[in-house]
Amino acid sequence: MSDGRAPELSAEVVAPAGQGWIHQLFATDHKAVGRMYVAGALSFAVLAATQLVLMRTQLLVAEFDFMRPDVFDRLLSVFGVTAVIFFALPLLLGLMAYVVPLQIGARGLALPRVASLSFWLFALGGITLYASFMYTPSSAGTTALAPLSLLEFSEGHGVDAWIGAVGLASLGFTCLAISLIVTIARHRAPGLFWRRLPLFSWSAITTSWLLVIAAPPMLAALVMLMLDRHFETHFFDSSAGGEPLLYAHLSWLFFTAVYIAIVLAALGAISEIFSTFARKPAFSRVGTATAMAAAAAIGPLAWMQNMYADPVPIGFQYFAMVMALSLIVPIGLIVFNAIATLWNGSIHVRSPLLFAAGGLAVLITGLAGETLHSVVAVGAQTGFTPLAHGDTSFVIIGGGLMAGLGATYYWLPKITGRLAGEGIARASFWTMLAGTLLYVIPLQIAGLEGQPNDVYKFFGGEGLGAYNAIASIGSFILVAGLLASIANLAWSVRNGVRAGHDPWGGTTLEWYAPAEPPVHNFDLIPDVRSDEPMLDIRAAVSSGAAGETQER
Amino acid sequence: MAAVAIGAPASAFADVLTPESPHSPNAGDIRDAYVVIGVIVTIIAIAAIASLLVAMRRFRATAEGPRNPERSARRVQPYVALGLSTIAAVIFVIGAVYTEGARDVEPTGTDGLTDANPLEIQVSGQQWLWRYEYPEGLGGEDGEAPIFSYHELVVPVDTSVALEVLSVDVMHRWSVPALAPMVTAVPGETNATWFKADEEGVYEGRTQEYSGPGTAAMRTRVRVVSTEEFRDWASRQAADIQAAQDAVQEAVDEGTAPGVAR
Repeated sequence: MSDGRAPELSAEVVAPAGQGWIHQLFATDHKAVGRMYVAGALSFAVLAATQLVLMRTQLLVAEFDFMRPDVFDRLLSVFGVTAVIFFALPLLLGLMAYVVPLQIGARGLALPRVASLSFWLFALGGITLYASFMYTPSSAGTTALAPLSLLEFSEGHGVDAWIGAVGLASLGFTCLAISLIVTIARHRAPGLFWRRLPLFSWSAITTSWLLVIAAPPMLAALVMLMLDRHFETHFFDSSAGGEPLLYAHLSWLFFTAVYIAIVLAALGAISEIFSTFARKPAFSRVGTATAMAAAAAIGPLAWMQNMYADPVPIGFQYFAMVMALSLIVPIGLIVFNAIATLWNGSIHVRSPLLFAAGGLAVLITGLAGETLHSVVAVGAQTGFTPLAHGDTSFVIIGGGLMAGLGATYYWLPKITGRLAGEGIARASFWTMLAGTLLYVIPLQIAGLEGQPNDVYKFFGGEGLGAYNAIASIGSFILVAGLLASIANLAWSVRNGVRAGHDPWGGTTLEWYAPAEPPVHNFDLIPDVRSDEPMLDIRAAVSSGAAGETQER
Repeated sequence: MAAVAIGAPASAFADVLTPESPHSPNAGDIRDAYVVIGVIVTIIAIAAIASLLVAMRRFRATAEGPRNPERSARRVQPYVALGLSTIAAVIFVIGAVYTEGARDVEPTGTDGLTDANPLEIQVSGQQWLWRYEYPEGLGGEDGEAPIFSYHELVVPVDTSVALEVLSVDVMHRWSVPALAPMVTAVPGETNATWFKADEEGVYEGRTQEYSGPGTAAMRTRVRVVSTEEFRDWASRQAADIQAAQDAVQEAVDEGTAPGVAR
């Protein structure tokens, strides 16, 4: 902020930031880590989009031989983890890494080297997964379920690469989660009590706890799978006394937790964006915060809702159903509060708000469907069909993709000092929304007509042709919108309209820091007097000293 | 005319959005649960999305007005939580009732194979087809090997059929939605379900678990026939299997069987 006066000195000695990209890559500055996470996640989004287009082209018409079945199976096995573990979750985690310390008035993430390590584990995981395309990727399915993923049924090293990739990425997320938890617990600005914690930071801490607890079981399952494949153990080999269902339990626990993490992070971002653009405080912050904590605690316990057809005792299935249905209360409360934030507000529609609102609508649709499938009787019939898969897609697209992109647009001015192109952003949003509906709904209907999931072709003469054709075209439209948004973001980094430190008029502390904050974030960390610190700061500045007016 | 005009698209709509017509009591319970709970969650979702859209439209800022610092004085959170808990409890109760109903095995009816109560069939999944093994003695002669069939399961109408599902290699998921819920075939475990077909016909099925490149082709069907037709089929199947095995034995004895040394 160059107004000619000498900046106030901060209390600590701050080393100057190194120049050059080498230094950027290995920087322990949380902003560098956050930027790299976001850029990495968006790169994987492009890869996931490519895979989706290829697979949906194969399913454009019945019995198409656009690609060989084994090629399709490999794309399928890689697509699921790319979209969820390498795009949706790290996009939101990267934004957390960037925004949370600024939002709570800290000078950086606690354990900065752990945070930096977390990015490199994630990147290494991605490289491991995609390096397998140089030989033979995994074709063991989206979750590499045992015993299909054992050596007997999946030769070669594709599954090993998949195991390594998911393991490294999960380990990385765990490291970042630990760093975020310590930061929020220990490094809040003076006066920022727990009850004044902004909702995005609150969702960050609940998501982090979720990952810390749920990632180790998956790491255990992956280690056991690797041992089974190469070291003659028999954890999942039933012919030698092992139990294949153990892998199913552990992996579903992890994937359910990741799913809830994405939903909570998305809802946290949506609540913040709604509050800013409706010019209203978040409706019942305490209610939403409590609900997020409750959802994080209850959600993973419903992992067996993916196993209603498996030989699991009915008592456990009822337990999963109770946990899944209990989620209606916290998630419903958060959604109610978000909409109540808009109610009676003074809404200024900008692209982040469009993405947030659209993402919330799609998320609601998916979660309503998931509620239906969480009933044992229904889930035993609809689980793993395109009907249930479509609802999961709605949740990941609405929460991970749309809300994640909305949050990226929202905090882009803080990260790069520039606004993204508004027109293209809006156009890409509507395109993505139309594409999502055209892609998911016909596939759900095809599932009710009998089409299975995860197959490389469907048969003619069964009435499935029209649904698949529309779904494929929908997926192309969705991908077009996604690529347009990513291109917009990438272009805006250098060429966007310059924004000040507070282009949206936000009320949380990150808007106090200058755009593209320096390494130490704030020259002076303000005392926090309420849960809307920027309002107090603006009031103090405009009513206070020496002719300096801050524009909103 | 008006009733037909409204009723036809409504029922077509309902057909498209709900599972296949059920032909077994448990499939019927499942479909009823789906419809009842589906209506509940659809209403809630529509209400939520509608209020979101209304809010976005109605509360647009018309001028650059001052920020509204109003905070809600009323505490609605407990009431909202109570309402949501009620909805969750209602869905749970409805779901539990239908789930228990679906798990209730009905006995064979009067039109069915009354000496089989239930008719126990072993379903084994392998990469990439389904094999069905029938109990002993169905071919009509005592002491012979039980009959089996691949891909097509033939059962008599109005007969309670108990399926024991297992796998010989990887996980599969047997799914004939018109008759029964899905059953996962896990190697090393046995899983079970039941159905009682109320109408003759052919009901299509498939696997619902990705099990490799042949997953798309791993289909199945259940052919429900009358009791007499079933007995005829069973004896013909037993005779066919016996003939095939005799032919193979003959070829082995003559040395003309491929792959078998003389």
